[in-house]
Amino acid sequence: MAKPVSSAQGVPTHQGRGWAQNRTSADWLASTSNDIEWATRQEARASTSSSSRRSTGSSRQSRQALCLWLPTFELRLELVRSPELDSTSVALLSPGESTRRTVWQVSERAHASGVRPGQLVSQAVSLCTSLTLLEPDPAHYDAAVDTMLEVLTEITPVVEPAGRGRVFLGMDGLERLFGSPHRQIRRALRSLFRVFPSPLVAATRAGMAPGKFGAWVAAASARSGSPVVVPPERLRDFFARCPVGALPVDPLVISRLERLGIQTLGELRRFPEPSLVAQFGEDGKNALAWATARRIDPVRPQYRPRPIRVSLEFPTPVGMVGTLHGALDRLVERALARPARRGRSVTGVRMGAHLEGGGSWFVETVLREPTSDRERIASPLRSKMEISPPPKAVETLIVELTDFGAASTQTGLFDRTIESGRATSSLDFDQGEVPVTLRDAVKELKLRLGHSPLYRVVEVDPWSRIPERRHALLSFDP
Amino acid sequence: MSHRPRLKPLARPKVVTVRTDDHGEPLFVRLPGKTARRVAVVRERWRIDDEWWRQTISREYRTVVLDDGAVLTLYHDLLDDSWHVQRG
Repeated sequence: MAKPVSSAQGVPTHQGRGWAQNRTSADWLASTSNDIEWATRQEARASTSSSSRRSTGSSRQSRQALCLWLPTFELRLELVRSPELDSTSVALLSPGESTRRTVWQVSERAHASGVRPGQLVSQAVSLCTSLTLLEPDPAHYDAAVDTMLEVLTEITPVVEPAGRGRVFLGMDGLERLFGSPHRQIRRALRSLFRVFPSPLVAATRAGMAPGKFGAWVAAASARSGSPVVVPPERLRDFFARCPVGALPVDPLVISRLERLGIQTLGELRRFPEPSLVAQFGEDGKNALAWATARRIDPVRPQYRPRPIRVSLEFPTPVGMVGTLHGALDRLVERALARPARRGRSVTGVRMGAHLEGGGSWFVETVLREPTSDRERIASPLRSKMEISPPPKAVETLIVELTDFGAASTQTGLFDRTIESGRATSSLDFDQGEVPVTLRDAVKELKLRLGHSPLYRVVEVDPWSRIPERRHALLSFDP
Repeated sequence: MSHRPRLKPLARPKVVTVRTDDHGEPLFVRLPGKTARRVAVVRERWRIDDEWWRQTISREYRTVVLDDGAVLTLYHDLLDDSWHVQRG
């Protein structure tokens, strides 16, 4: 059973007005370790990662790390959007579930009423009848993260995101530019004021130490407004009283360590490496390396290709799967036709939606092989939509091509249709093929009129009883 | 740069002026920019009540033939008592 963490050191509690405090180390880990990839990410893995981000090599790594952490980032963003909820019991629902909804993040008042992350909605509501439940809006959160990363790259080019609300900055060599570590942290936090409201920045915790693990533990032990800086010579001592729950290893390993009575990294260090490896395998070896400050993970800058994003706004919210599939096909066609995509195949794609009455929904997929074929891109997204459909009617459908590969397969060498419009025997728009002659004609019209005057009739809800819901015009702009 | 094209619905209703009898049946219809025409016959009528969960729609449709032979689909919006002509 996890025990509350000491308030003297390694205080992984959610500080600040209106937020849950005195959480257990297990809670802390649960709330933050949804992504422990930051600690285990390796060069080779990063290059094949499902993520759209890639490491760019070792030359720009940074040993000195600054971790900025905003606990319950998503819920805080929601409260910034709806400040009237700040003094009420609020819980954010977990994303991507349609049948058994569970609670994802809770405010302090809700926490005091017994509401905990992971509870079913029915349980949470029975514990706190005045609980306000909020639908998650991943699009909003991701946009906030992107803005934050953009601002932070002005401080240092070595920026490594580690899930929403947590980011590592490589600070090597910045003392000559910004001064002492505390000044560097102040500078980084000050830059966040440009994109976030002050309560959000004020709640950000900052920690600086050699390596990502040290910086993360420092940030987790810091209080809002009081950053923790750990010099290299003090790193080992600093880890001594840190709870084992801070280790970015499998939660089962943490739980076993705690059941064995090993609560802190100092206690863990007393065990010889062979016995830890025998018990926990690779995790045991890594845990000891972190605990003894032998392992220092440098911050690696991450190349984030700018996604190609297209969206379609429906005149009225749409719930019919067939209509959404049709819209998905049109959007994939549009995305593939964008000049930025040409000469590249697609390996990662994301589909999302703004939902009726607020909230958003997203599914993401990594394609089995690079392709620029509409059907091969749309098909896995349709399957994902079957498994996890949008919980409400869709107002705007979004498709993002997030990751790219080399140019298309070699068969393209012998495909002459691009070269001659006459080679296309029919106007088969379904496959996204637009004759060059038509493309040129539209280009000329756009130059002359400033917009494409051609439209395509698309089915929106062909069986609707309301005539204006059945078909619509979509701008034809290949 | 994000492209956010909006779908333009087809068959959008247009407001028309309709003079009715004591029973609410259309007698004269005046389309925008045209002279009023007498309704020769009401061919068909049906009612749509829908989307009560969003923005209620309550319409009474009629297919009418005007005295010049034109066939129109009209509906009477029961919520705001307005008349519209609609294709489709």
